[in-house]
Amino acid sequence: MKKGHIYTLVFMLALSTVLTLALALAYEGFKPNIAAHDDLKKERSVLYALGLDEGLTDEQVTDTFAKVVEPVEGQGYVYKQDGQVRGYAVPFTGAGLWGSITGYAGLSGEKDKLTGIVFTKQNETPGLGGRIDETEYREQFRNLPIAPGTLLSYGQHDGYRLDGITGATQTSNAVIRIINQMLSDHVFNEGVQ
Amino acid sequence: MPGNVTNTREIAKTQLWRENQVLRQILGICSSLAVTNSMKNSLVMGLGLSFVTALSSMTLSAMRDIIPHRVRMIVQTMVIAAYVILVDLALQAFLPDISKQLGPYVGLIITNCIIMGRAEAFAQKNPPLPAMWDGFFAGLGYTWVLLFIALIREVLGFGTVFGVNVDFIGFERWTIMIMPPAAFFIIGSMIWAMSARAQRLPTPNKK
Repeated sequence: MKKGHIYTLVFMLALSTVLTLALALAYEGFKPNIAAHDDLKKERSVLYALGLDEGLTDEQVTDTFAKVVEPVEGQGYVYKQDGQVRGYAVPFTGAGLWGSITGYAGLSGEKDKLTGIVFTKQNETPGLGGRIDETEYREQFRNLPIAPGTLLSYGQHDGYRLDGITGATQTSNAVIRIINQMLSDHVFNEGVQ
Repeated sequence: MPGNVTNTREIAKTQLWRENQVLRQILGICSSLAVTNSMKNSLVMGLGLSFVTALSSMTLSAMRDIIPHRVRMIVQTMVIAAYVILVDLALQAFLPDISKQLGPYVGLIITNCIIMGRAEAFAQKNPPLPAMWDGFFAGLGYTWVLLFIALIREVLGFGTVFGVNVDFIGFERWTIMIMPPAAFFIIGSMIWAMSARAQRLPTPNKK
């Protein structure tokens, strides 16, 4: 069955229309669910960076977030308890190996240590660079001492030890670079408002 | 149709074992190397692939008489892409945790040669229902191979099965098993074993 050019053209147009329509409908249908999950994920991430996410259920995350975390104009969140500033969650973003790495870094109220970091978006190689998302790596950033003018780096240091990921040097270095950049740009030079 | 049952059974046998897509057709190797250091990822990847292959084969088979032959591959790609996006959206909406863990893998289902291989080799010549079974069992054939490789890698590399600790004898973990090269050795051995069996070649250690 030989089919002419016109048929092929009409067929492709029709197929594209049908598939696009179907996907658009599906997306519209799923959107509220996806948006709700995204909000929850963001709230949980911020709480994790602040060190407040300890086995909280989804409802508790929403509650806690609403109670103690306030958005800061322009960037990030501030964590307040009884009117006192207890910490900050500063967003960071920068180039990884394949795409941008985005997330939040938690700071103590005195800005002398990181309370944790969390990645909200990364497209690093699964199984290699993607392992920055694993707890073993992330947990290393808990209570890491920071100070103006000093850069974090991998290895054994006075007061802390930080390990990169074997087989994912580019990604490991990218993370450190992004964090250092974020600290010098948004924490120590300009300061978190 | 009484013949259909045997047909389905034949399809299942062929796809799960005799003409296994990974071990005999050497398709879908890339993801077999990439995701098999954990059983959970392998399982979800396998099920995602089975779902997409089954539905895309069925759809393409139903349309097989109206698809212009010249552009059939483009049509196949479009249909497969549509199903992959659906799976991705559904995972994001209903299983956000798994969706997050699998991340880019789900989108990569589209590049799996098995799906287009089945569309080309089976779906365009057969009715929708057998085409669906063919795609589904091709996916399951892929799934069990992945799970098998993942079992070896996860036990030796992490000392766990599906994340549950089985490291009760306290052996040294083999870091290489977590790295992609390990899958090369395992999958290579499996392909060799299957080929040797299929061709009834004497194995080297037979005297």
